[in-house]
Amino acid sequence: MAQVVLDHVTKVFDDQVMAVDDLTLTVGDGEFIILVGPSGCGKTTALRMLAGLEKVTSGRIAIDGRVINDVSPRDRDIAMVFQNYALYPHMTVFRNLAFGLRQRKVPSREIDRRVHEVSEILGLDELLKRRPAQLSGGQRQRVAMGRALVREPKAFLLDEPLSNLDAKLRVQMRAELKRLHQRLGVTTIYVTHDQVEAMTLGDRIAVLSGGKLQQLGPPQDVYDHPVNVFVAGFIGSPPMNLLRANAVNGRITAGDLQLDIPGLADGDVVVGVRPEMLRPAGDGLPAVPFTVDVVEPLGDEIVVHGTVAGRLAGSGADDQIPATGSGAELATVTARFDPQLRPTVGDRIPLRIRPEAVHVFDARTGEAIR
Amino acid sequence: MGRLRRALASDHVAGWAFIGPAVLLIGVFGILPIVWGLVLSFQKSDLIDPNTPFVGLTNYRALAHDHVLRIAAGHTLVYTGVFVPVSVIGALFVAVALNRKIHLIRFYRTAVFVPVVASTIATSIMFLWLFDAQYGLANWLLGKIGVGPFGFFDSPRGALYAIIAMTVWGWVGFDVIIYLAALQGIPHELVEAAEIDGASRWSIFRSITVPLLGPATLLLVVWSSINALQLFDEVYFVTHGGPPPYNTAVVVWWLFSLAFRLGAAGYAAAIAYVLFLAILVLTMVQFWVGNKVVHYSS
Amino acid sequence: MTMEAQADRIAWPEEAEAVERPRRRWLPFSPWHLVLFPLALIMLLPLVWMIVTSLETQAESLHFPPVLVPGSLHFGNYPSALRSAPFGRWFLNTFIVTSTVVVSNLLLCSLAGYAFARIRFFGRAATFMLLLATLMVPFQVVMIPTFLIVKKLGLFDSLPALIAPNLVSAFGIFMLRQFFRTLPVELEEAARIDGASRLGVLFKIVLPLSLPALATLAVIQFMWTWNDFLWPLIAVFSQRNFTLQLGLTVFQGSHDVFWPLVMAGNVMSMIPMLVLFFAAQRYFVRGIATTGLKG
Repeated sequence: MAQVVLDHVTKVFDDQVMAVDDLTLTVGDGEFIILVGPSGCGKTTALRMLAGLEKVTSGRIAIDGRVINDVSPRDRDIAMVFQNYALYPHMTVFRNLAFGLRQRKVPSREIDRRVHEVSEILGLDELLKRRPAQLSGGQRQRVAMGRALVREPKAFLLDEPLSNLDAKLRVQMRAELKRLHQRLGVTTIYVTHDQVEAMTLGDRIAVLSGGKLQQLGPPQDVYDHPVNVFVAGFIGSPPMNLLRANAVNGRITAGDLQLDIPGLADGDVVVGVRPEMLRPAGDGLPAVPFTVDVVEPLGDEIVVHGTVAGRLAGSGADDQIPATGSGAELATVTARFDPQLRPTVGDRIPLRIRPEAVHVFDARTGEAIR
Repeated sequence: MGRLRRALASDHVAGWAFIGPAVLLIGVFGILPIVWGLVLSFQKSDLIDPNTPFVGLTNYRALAHDHVLRIAAGHTLVYTGVFVPVSVIGALFVAVALNRKIHLIRFYRTAVFVPVVASTIATSIMFLWLFDAQYGLANWLLGKIGVGPFGFFDSPRGALYAIIAMTVWGWVGFDVIIYLAALQGIPHELVEAAEIDGASRWSIFRSITVPLLGPATLLLVVWSSINALQLFDEVYFVTHGGPPPYNTAVVVWWLFSLAFRLGAAGYAAAIAYVLFLAILVLTMVQFWVGNKVVHYSS
Repeated sequence: MTMEAQADRIAWPEEAEAVERPRRRWLPFSPWHLVLFPLALIMLLPLVWMIVTSLETQAESLHFPPVLVPGSLHFGNYPSALRSAPFGRWFLNTFIVTSTVVVSNLLLCSLAGYAFARIRFFGRAATFMLLLATLMVPFQVVMIPTFLIVKKLGLFDSLPALIAPNLVSAFGIFMLRQFFRTLPVELEEAARIDGASRLGVLFKIVLPLSLPALATLAVIQFMWTWNDFLWPLIAVFSQRNFTLQLGLTVFQGSHDVFWPLVMAGNVMSMIPMLVLFFAAQRYFVRGIATTGLKG
């Protein structure tokens, strides 16, 4: 177990692509930290630099105070779980688990003990004599985890380890991962693009975009207080609704929405409201007319897509937000309703928005103003 | 130990350590001879006398006046011109016939492939006996259908064709294997679509199979030509370039004789380089023409 | 189309995909047999005739019309052939040369092929191109200077003269490099993180996963070396250093009309090759396709 430090780490590939741009991050001893971001944001490259599989262009990487920039992967005492597991196809499960220990000349009695200990934790006992090709996806995933665990390394690196599992198994393994970390307390750096994993697993999450660290903090803090439009749009599912707006004299106007925020400077802003903060208005509060387009009942809640007057603002995180066609001043927004409400397509529902639930960002820089 | 390990951790050191032995050996026995061969072609050498004076272009000028070389070049061209189409077209039909699941197919394929692993010398010995003018099985069998008898390797005009027959036997399996590989790559849907369109077997073969085998055919034409131009073993062992005077003389046989039997290694090296250039030019022309004709699907 | 893709699709009976569609039958068997059966007979005829002759008496062999079925199987021709020439010595020589060449190619081509496939080092692309370029040069161009080099090294007329120039082949390097590049790189990364050295990664992960490619290279190299004639003809002089191919030519020359003996010798010289062929047909087929595809 150890503290892992990335200090102004930059990676520029041969083709001049800057994959990681001045990343500084300290992972505490025993901490579970998540690197999250869209594909191409540099999270995997950062992990691979930690593993020693990519050279660091500039900056320093240290484990327990020892700079390891030029240390080969084998001497870093870290373990990694690959997205596609990378199990050695010609070896049995036992030999897959034992391989790392054999390389380190651990006595065979000790190897036996540790392999059996780990296979018991992960429920692999029955599978030790099989080869990877004879295992199911979930079993392979466990073996890949086991191969990392058995080494008792200073740090675990996990590169989207659950992305090849089906949805049900993914939920199950997610819980298992969390349990394992609570039990073993090994410093863990976990890369994912799935923000449910990001929210549920980590002590802290680091949101990356374009090779730059956008925000670092406990998941709930990041969710509640995104520092910029990108983080606001990336974290949360369905994503935060972002509308273009205009501030004059402390009053923001976005289509039919008007909010008073005293002390706000005049200019273009982006306002953001999480879907669960949009509620049908009943008691005379200021309301925005909302026309229902699509209804997605999820059982415990209903996700409703519809339009309001206004213009969408792209967050840069999710380009799939449909543009409001033909310049019409209608924006698609998403709300999460109680299942008791049974909206139908075409309903016009007045939505209530509490001013304190509204995020405001500078339209030019994307930085959070409030 | 630690230092060695750290040194090997550097990509540059490790890379060169890994390729070092191979590069050294290929340097000495692959690259050095290429350069030396060129140098030698401007020298007078009998391979024994250490004194090998430079003679300028003398060796290359001598090419024009070499009566045997002219005959040998002619034979080489005739051999290549007959051997390549016969073996490639023959292999095409054989491969199509072999590309199906019927009883005994394993036996048929093995029968076609086995000659590929027989050495040129073993093959030559078999055919010396099979084609024996007096006692050979071939003359007896051909006599049954009212042809022959032939002198085969003893026949001044027939010897080269006997060599062609023998080398086609030894080579055709090679082409068949490559054609079979290419045939496996033709999507079934294409053949099925053509069948639904009402095409006959023959027109499917002509308008679907043959064009789609284009890349393989080009490859085989180039590859068999390169090999045909280098014909040596059979001529050296079976006919010794004869029947006299030079009825099966080919270029490589002549350059071998010059270098190792007649003490004219410098001149032989010049012939070798000219042959190399000729092969290179022919290959490039074949690819150039081929790429205009051949349709690449992917 | 990539070489591997094509080489992996090589037709082999079990894998053959062509299906005989049911048609109106005018024969109790597929009409293709009418073509294939005579073809197979013609292809096998020289081999069968060689074996038949090797079991005939001298008198039977020199008879016209030919004796198709010998009166008795005259196996004595085989020991006679072994007695009339140093076949044992030639077998041993050929075996030493071939096995050394095969083993050394497997090792050196693996090392170099792996470096070219996976290690990024200074001069990699240029060196690789240079090695590939040597594949284009026909043997006739290099044989005279190679003879001189071997002579300068003091190896002329010795088994090392037959071995040294063939210890590594650019073709083998190229073939293995292509194969190594198809392996998932994560396996090697996982092994490095697990603590394996570069050699450890190569020998414990990459090579065990490359057995088909190694087998292919081995059988092709075996065939080339076992059957080679021109280089031994140049490189050795005394009969005690002959390979089988050289020995056969001498044996045939000195026993010109003793066909049963010559055929017995010929059959024996082909046995190792044939055994290997029937044991590893798949790799021969793949190897030949790859050889062809290298052009």
